[in-house]
Amino acid sequence: MAAATVTSERQFRRHDFWRALLLTVLCGLQLLPLLMAFFISFKTIPQFSRVPFLPTFPLHWENYLSAWEIVRLFLFNTVFVSGLTVVGVLALGSLAAYSFAILRYPGREFLFYLVLALMMVPATLTLIPSFVLVKNLQLLNTRWSLILPWIASGQVFAIFILRTYLQSLPGELFDAARIDGASEWQGYFMIALPMSKSMLGVAAILNILGTWNNLIWPALTISHLERQTLTPGLWSYQVENFTRYGFLMAGLLIGSIPLIVLFFFTSRWFVEGLTSGAIKV
Amino acid sequence: MTARPAPGNSRDPLLLQVWKGRTGYLMLVPTMVLLGVFMYYPAFLGLYRSLFDWAPGLDADFVGLGNFVKLFTKDKVFQQSMGNMLQLSLWYVLSTVFVSLFVAILLHRMISQRLKYLYRFLAILPVIIPGIVLLMLWKFIYDATVGPLNMLLIAIGLEEWTRAWLANPNTALYAVMLRNFPWVDGVAILILLAGLQVIPQEIIESARIDGATNWRILRSVEFPLITGQIKLLTVLTIMWGVQEFTAVFAMTQGGPINKTMVPGMWMFWNAFRINKMGYAAAIGVILFVLTLILTLINMKYITTQEY
Repeated sequence: MAAATVTSERQFRRHDFWRALLLTVLCGLQLLPLLMAFFISFKTIPQFSRVPFLPTFPLHWENYLSAWEIVRLFLFNTVFVSGLTVVGVLALGSLAAYSFAILRYPGREFLFYLVLALMMVPATLTLIPSFVLVKNLQLLNTRWSLILPWIASGQVFAIFILRTYLQSLPGELFDAARIDGASEWQGYFMIALPMSKSMLGVAAILNILGTWNNLIWPALTISHLERQTLTPGLWSYQVENFTRYGFLMAGLLIGSIPLIVLFFFTSRWFVEGLTSGAIKV
Repeated sequence: MTARPAPGNSRDPLLLQVWKGRTGYLMLVPTMVLLGVFMYYPAFLGLYRSLFDWAPGLDADFVGLGNFVKLFTKDKVFQQSMGNMLQLSLWYVLSTVFVSLFVAILLHRMISQRLKYLYRFLAILPVIIPGIVLLMLWKFIYDATVGPLNMLLIAIGLEEWTRAWLANPNTALYAVMLRNFPWVDGVAILILLAGLQVIPQEIIESARIDGATNWRILRSVEFPLITGQIKLLTVLTIMWGVQEFTAVFAMTQGGPINKTMVPGMWMFWNAFRINKMGYAAAIGVILFVLTLILTLINMKYITTQEY
């Protein structure tokens, strides 16, 4: 019996080797462009023309320094805009979700469906009218042209997942607090918010990924480069520096760092968020 | 001590219920104001303006369904863009489902938990790289003079195959389509993996005791149990493919000679390059209707399944 387990164990390990090999090839090829960018990012133009895709020495770190000079502005803008957006989304979203999930009042279901229906409205339908609206509100070229519409659209999904989560909590939790004389606001601040910390994290990550990667909307509303966010910023940066390969790649890699750092600190929320985000239309 | 009754006791008269629920309404005010201004108003304006010949600052002429008729009967670029969208979506579905399924099964069968965790991380890694970085790297890969793809072809003696992949009308659409080779999609893998992991171990064990091979287990046990996830992925990918024009916007802007045009890009072009806003709004409405149909299919047949 024991011997049989050992052989099958060894067999399994051998199969693992083949699985690992296949996965290494697939993931390796997938990540190859990034490795290429990494090698090129240390090159001067002559070094690139001599040996384009393998490391050359000496390494030219100054590519990173000069790229940082430009990209840091985009990074700062994105952190600011995505940061304010996610704070707004979590604040408004959790408040509305608490109201929908825990409190009772006439018309609650109807109001919730009014929010839920917006999950079926794609950004392409609202793109043009939103632009005209933002223009008429004199918000073009301000960060508000990004933050306000992004809070509005981002909270829909946050409300959806937070409401589901709050409804799954035992209702006695809130009833008991009410009997003890806690107000609705206390229920929100003292029970709902602390209990849904990880769900808030998931909603936050999804929202940050969405705003961080938005190319079209900021490219449309922000024409002053010094207020531009990272994604459209890197796009125009590429157009301008396409032949300065080392500098270009260094800039693209610097732009990738913040999300990777965020991932390392919040990988559980990331994984949950990415899976639940799939429900998003 | 008197316990305060739950707000909005349903035996109260309606107005009293509303009054007792005032905090609930109050908590919705900021959300509803923002949704009204930045979601509902633009959405209805988009539907309404699609019926007009409209450029901002000028008088709008009501044309009824004229924009839609023109799109489907006269606008060759729009028709081409729908065809391109269809091809792209089809490819996205095929590559997402097949590659992700393959990777998810490899990961699921991994015995060593450490290796499984490592490879799952590697598969997710591209998701946390900003999309624009990958698009720009692929634009570089396809470059005519310095791009690694052409360099590789020269190195293996296929010099006559080299071309400006994204600028050549014959290859541009395929270059956009086949970017991100080998199409390992972290999100899809996570969804499929989640489906595989909830299959009760006893089912697999008993199949194994009955002498089923790995392949047999996959075909007769695991596939049938994750069809829900596969259907979900398919619908979501099509929905995304209908809307998506970021890749085209960043890589080709719809060119060369509209060979990579997709409806979203054509909408953008009409609205912001030649100021035909009403016409562009009509394209937006068409995309909305397509999405709506797919959402209804999704709700009716798919998301009812718990996963």
